[in-house]
Amino acid sequence: MLRTTALTKRFGGLTAVDSVDFTLDDRLTSLIGPNGAGKTTFFNLLTGALEPSEGSIELERSEEWVDVTDHTTFETAQFGVHRSYQITNIFPTSSVLENVRIAQQAHSDDSWQFWRNVNAFDEHYERAHEILERVGLDRKATEPAENLSHGEKRQLEVGIALAGDPDVLLLDEPNAGVSTEDVDDIRGIIEDVATDHAVLLVEHNMDLVMDVSDRIVVLNQGEIIADGKPETIRGDPEVQDAYLGGYEPGDLERTEGVA
Amino acid sequence: MSPESARSLPVPSWAGQYLRDHALHALVVAFFILYPFAYDLFVGQFGLIAETVLLRPRTMLTVLWLGLFAMSFDFISGYTGYLSFGHATFFGIGAYFVVLGYNGQLPLLPGELPFMTLLVLGGVVAAVAAVLVGLIAFRLSGVYFAMITLGVSEILFVAAENFDFLTPGGSDPSDGVTPGTPSGIETFTPELGVPLVDALQVEIGAFGDTSLLGIDLGPIFNETSAAIVVSYFAIGAFVLVSYLAMQRIIHSPFGRVMIAISENEERAQAIGYNTFWYKMGAFAISAFFGAVAGGLLVGYQGFIDPQNSFFFLVTGFALVAAIIGGLKTLVGPLFGYFFLEWVEEFLAREGSGGGLQPFLEQNLPDSLLDATISGGLTVSKALDSFMTGHGEFYAGIIFVLFVLFVPVGLLGTLRLRFGTQSLSKHVSHRLGALGSETEADDQ
Repeated sequence: MLRTTALTKRFGGLTAVDSVDFTLDDRLTSLIGPNGAGKTTFFNLLTGALEPSEGSIELERSEEWVDVTDHTTFETAQFGVHRSYQITNIFPTSSVLENVRIAQQAHSDDSWQFWRNVNAFDEHYERAHEILERVGLDRKATEPAENLSHGEKRQLEVGIALAGDPDVLLLDEPNAGVSTEDVDDIRGIIEDVATDHAVLLVEHNMDLVMDVSDRIVVLNQGEIIADGKPETIRGDPEVQDAYLGGYEPGDLERTEGVA
Repeated sequence: MSPESARSLPVPSWAGQYLRDHALHALVVAFFILYPFAYDLFVGQFGLIAETVLLRPRTMLTVLWLGLFAMSFDFISGYTGYLSFGHATFFGIGAYFVVLGYNGQLPLLPGELPFMTLLVLGGVVAAVAAVLVGLIAFRLSGVYFAMITLGVSEILFVAAENFDFLTPGGSDPSDGVTPGTPSGIETFTPELGVPLVDALQVEIGAFGDTSLLGIDLGPIFNETSAAIVVSYFAIGAFVLVSYLAMQRIIHSPFGRVMIAISENEERAQAIGYNTFWYKMGAFAISAFFGAVAGGLLVGYQGFIDPQNSFFFLVTGFALVAAIIGGLKTLVGPLFGYFFLEWVEEFLAREGSGGGLQPFLEQNLPDSLLDATISGGLTVSKALDSFMTGHGEFYAGIIFVLFVLFVPVGLLGTLRLRFGTQSLSKHVSHRLGALGSETEADDQ
């Protein structure tokens, strides 16, 4: 679906992403790592929001790999890579429906039509309603997006990213700041969208990550230090040292030597 | 004005539905159509009191073209969030294009072209200019965009004040230019209306036609010159068509992208819009209508100077009108201008007739007028110094009050209170239980 080769990003002297070789496939993959590990930078590179210092990004298009390293954000989006944001990033005063509809419209040829009323384009509305149903927001369709609760805004984030039927979904902490009661809603949405999209998930809630992921990639100081099934990662001493320290209390003594 | 006929003729059912959906529009249009008649009636009946509280139809003309200009300003500034602080550029281009084009001073263009042709061509030239400005300015964000556009309008202002090319007759270009001045050029007779249909075209201007659709307005109006009323209707129809065109664009898929850009440009890009070109498109459309407004001014006035076209305060007043009427409401700025002009005329009309000061001076007893406040200052003198010529001062105070207490403007507040949809629904409901409840189009 998507692969990077020796992908590197430097900010001055700091190497935020360090020569990452990574391939995303159909498995629900989670990207984890401590704060500052370079997860969001990696996302920004994948979506074209940042320009890589070195390396390349390729997308698989009908069995062929296409280089998208130089694509801007809107080109990447048009190419079928969508993302949701860690900090809610929606169209606040538009209705919930319009938030998704405008994203759906971006994937049609209709956006330059300035002489026809937008209501004449039923298919965008229909698709938007389908997506809202999927993320559980259809009953809020007419409300201004800013009036949603925090958890609902997180759902809308994913809904906007779903519009236009992307091949690859990059979800940047869809669960950020969501109360414990609402975690199950988000978990359901993640598992649901993973059935028909390649999903790369960044998430801090370890229970959630261990639960939904088929594969976990661990990033530390810009480098991939582990890559495997949740069970393997859970037992990996290097990972525990870098990130999961304390996740399983018994391992603390062992990691001291490695550091 | 065409809507007049649409309302009185027997109309097919879809048109009836359309009018119900646009009941609010129809009401506002009816208000503007009836205004000169009402003015004549009230001033004839009540004299000075009516003159005091009502805007003269001549001022309503200004409201129309400046209102159109302010709408075009709102189109880019409100709906994409990019403050076009040099929007006067386009107003000036439209105005000067009509003059220079008519005088044959522009390359590739024969002189004495019909006014409508010049009006539209001027709009196209302004749109091209907007694209050129946008190529630089849209690479930058908010404040820098405002500064670059402002800079462009200042450059053109200085050029319009100093380029002798503008006035081949040898007069000072800063005094302005007039269409039809060079000898050998026919007198400027700007015809406005439906192209190629003679019956639907009138000559606008203070000395233009006095009859409309074959009806001589001269005998009907006692308080206003019939030529002003004819120009008012012709220019009003043109402004209405321009408004409807812009409104249609706002409610199109393209317009929705503009709104998305104003709300969150980063996300608009992330969902796949190349926002740069959408902004360019919106800027060009806005420039077109801004230029048309300038052209209409020249059409009526037969004259333009740099102070009233390229000067940055021209944009400044559009901004004030847009804030008072409501940014991002499109038609709000027109009401904003209406309100501003009303305040200015009511509080300080120089010369005779109308305004609060002449009213007070005629109606207060002499003993009060001559009473001394302090020193040599009498009430009469105080009225004189606090009112006459200070309309803009009071408008400024009102502007500040609006920014503080009515930040979304007059129309914005109404829409917030009733909702965009329900405001028009409410009106159409009131208008008459005309038919079953149907989905109202976006107002």
